[in-house]
Amino acid sequence: MLELLEALLSSTLEYCPALVFAALGGMLCERSGVVNVGLEGMMRTGAFCAAVAALSMPTPVAILVGMLAGAALASVHGYLCIRWRSDQVVSGMALNLVALAGGTYLLESLYGPNGTPPIQQLTRWHLPGLSEVPLLRAFSGHSALTWLALVLPFAFHWVLYRTPLGLRLRAVGEKPHAVATLGLSVAGLRWLAVLGSGLFAGLGGATLSTAVLDRFEQHTPAGLGFMALAAMVFGRWTPLGTFLAALFFSAANALRIGLASSAPGLLEVVPQGFLLALPYVLTLLLLALQGQRTHAPAALGTPYEQESR
Amino acid sequence: MSDRLRAVLPSVFSVFLALAVCWCLIALTHDATKATEAYLHLLRGGLGDWAKYLEEGTSTLLTRPLGEAAIKASLLLLTGLSVTVAFKVGLFNIGAQGQMLVGALTAAVVGAQLKLPALLHVPAALLGACVAGALWALIAAGLKLTRGVHEVISTIMLNWVAVSLVDNWLVVGPLRAGAGTVLSTTGTAQIAASAHLPRLLGDSSRLHLGFPLALAVALAIWVWLARLRTGFETRAVGLGAEAARAAGIPVGRRMLGAMGLAGALAGLAGALLVLGTELRYPGSLGAPYGFDGIAISLIGGNHPLGVALSALFFGVLRAGGTNMQLLNLSKSYPELIQGFALLFVAGRLVWLAFMRRRQTAAPTAPVAPKQPEPSPEVPRA
Repeated sequence: MLELLEALLSSTLEYCPALVFAALGGMLCERSGVVNVGLEGMMRTGAFCAAVAALSMPTPVAILVGMLAGAALASVHGYLCIRWRSDQVVSGMALNLVALAGGTYLLESLYGPNGTPPIQQLTRWHLPGLSEVPLLRAFSGHSALTWLALVLPFAFHWVLYRTPLGLRLRAVGEKPHAVATLGLSVAGLRWLAVLGSGLFAGLGGATLSTAVLDRFEQHTPAGLGFMALAAMVFGRWTPLGTFLAALFFSAANALRIGLASSAPGLLEVVPQGFLLALPYVLTLLLLALQGQRTHAPAALGTPYEQESR
Repeated sequence: MSDRLRAVLPSVFSVFLALAVCWCLIALTHDATKATEAYLHLLRGGLGDWAKYLEEGTSTLLTRPLGEAAIKASLLLLTGLSVTVAFKVGLFNIGAQGQMLVGALTAAVVGAQLKLPALLHVPAALLGACVAGALWALIAAGLKLTRGVHEVISTIMLNWVAVSLVDNWLVVGPLRAGAGTVLSTTGTAQIAASAHLPRLLGDSSRLHLGFPLALAVALAIWVWLARLRTGFETRAVGLGAEAARAAGIPVGRRMLGAMGLAGALAGLAGALLVLGTELRYPGSLGAPYGFDGIAISLIGGNHPLGVALSALFFGVLRAGGTNMQLLNLSKSYPELIQGFALLFVAGRLVWLAFMRRRQTAAPTAPVAPKQPEPSPEVPRA
């Protein structure tokens, strides 16, 4: 029993960083009032660029490249949505389509359809003290990114709720005109948030291709970006809520994989499709239950126009 | 510049710019001659090899590619219309993929399990798919109306629920062909011959009844939106729900109706795929036609006839895409063109500002303003 729990915990810690980073990125963007359904595309771009960069440079640097690539895609989103006040959902979906087809195209024309050549995976930290203790053993043997994923939500929480910058970011998503009245730049704050979300979504993608796997595969990130979106909504647009939701989704995923490998008999009773659908159904149910009392930022999805009220 | 031109030109520019950008992409990853050759392949694969036809005179050189293009176009057209109809009532239907999946599965089940004469079997399967798609879409509409759940989130979630339940449970479990035996096949059982959509050109092309059907549906939607009272009310709700309510239009009922219709259209697309070409529900549905519908609808300016044009155009490109593999290029290339086109359409305010500046600058002074002016208030089409 303890071993099973340990395996589940370890597997959750292995899979959660990508989801946590992307979901936090999405949350940052949406708290500033800009919808970001392009997370999937930014993750894909980050994953691809990190995998390609890691072929010729050390893996940690390659992860930075992946983050910058995600931010580059986000800058297109920002340009269209902030500078030109385009429809934010349309722009995000367009970025998804471009990243999906573009990733496949570049992969096939540069490396063939099966994925990029294998790269040096990020080093895993084996903690000598922990590997003796039962249960806590699960925390050993993960990359630094797992630890970052465990700390980052608290950093986000601190920035959003304890610093002036966080107050401004939240305000610009609730009532941008009030922010403008204070002489602050609405566009500047939103740019900051959008670029930041690109960085973190790119980091999430880079995590997939450098820590979870050792290459970029054709279907990376296979819907994880949309899952991140669900985690953000499920977590009611707060850093810690988002973190918990992402952990929950990763645990559900770990449970599914664990069940498939350790107890194949159980999958006869509970089909795998049910477990796959579970996080999405739960998100829908929760949204339906909380009803009109919405937790979304008030100005989410509305482009800022100085003249409007 | 007339308003109509102003509505159409950004889409046309966007498509051409996308073609140019993608040409440059091949030129960068390979070389320029290969890029040009690739575009010729694309045209030959979608419109037929006219040069060879004039030489040899075998008509299948034309009918086969054109038939493939028509098949692809009819799927894109129906999912595009699905997104368009939802847009008209002010909802963003990202769930066409899930609705299509549910529709395709229903068509496959009705086609394989029922025993009916051909005259009834095909309509029964089509209708079943429409109903299934509509019900799937109505979940999102119902959540929106009763609980205020935003439809973008709920349709994305419903897509994944549909994929999980259909592709990972029903098709590999209870509905798998030869379920309960040791037979290891993927997908559901073959549909009965009476449920096949009739081929229009016999053996010379795979073109089937679905193409004229899709065109007729587009025409009907256009007439409905432009000429009928309920269509007008639907558009009124999309332009301003509060004003529509004040005018006595039943806003909730119009939203439910439009979303149900959107789901039915996506379900119909799934039925065409199953009854026309796949002849069963395959292991997975393959290309994400539902997501393509978003691009097709927006590039077509959310107008049924514009959607038909953009579906035909990208249908030709899609059919030609399979030809790209002869050049060792990815067959996802047309999707890349489509993605870029949508991205440029998303920036249509940029185009409009550009066009306006050209117009005002041309007759007077050639000096362009250094800073681009604030974008004009243009009502969305």
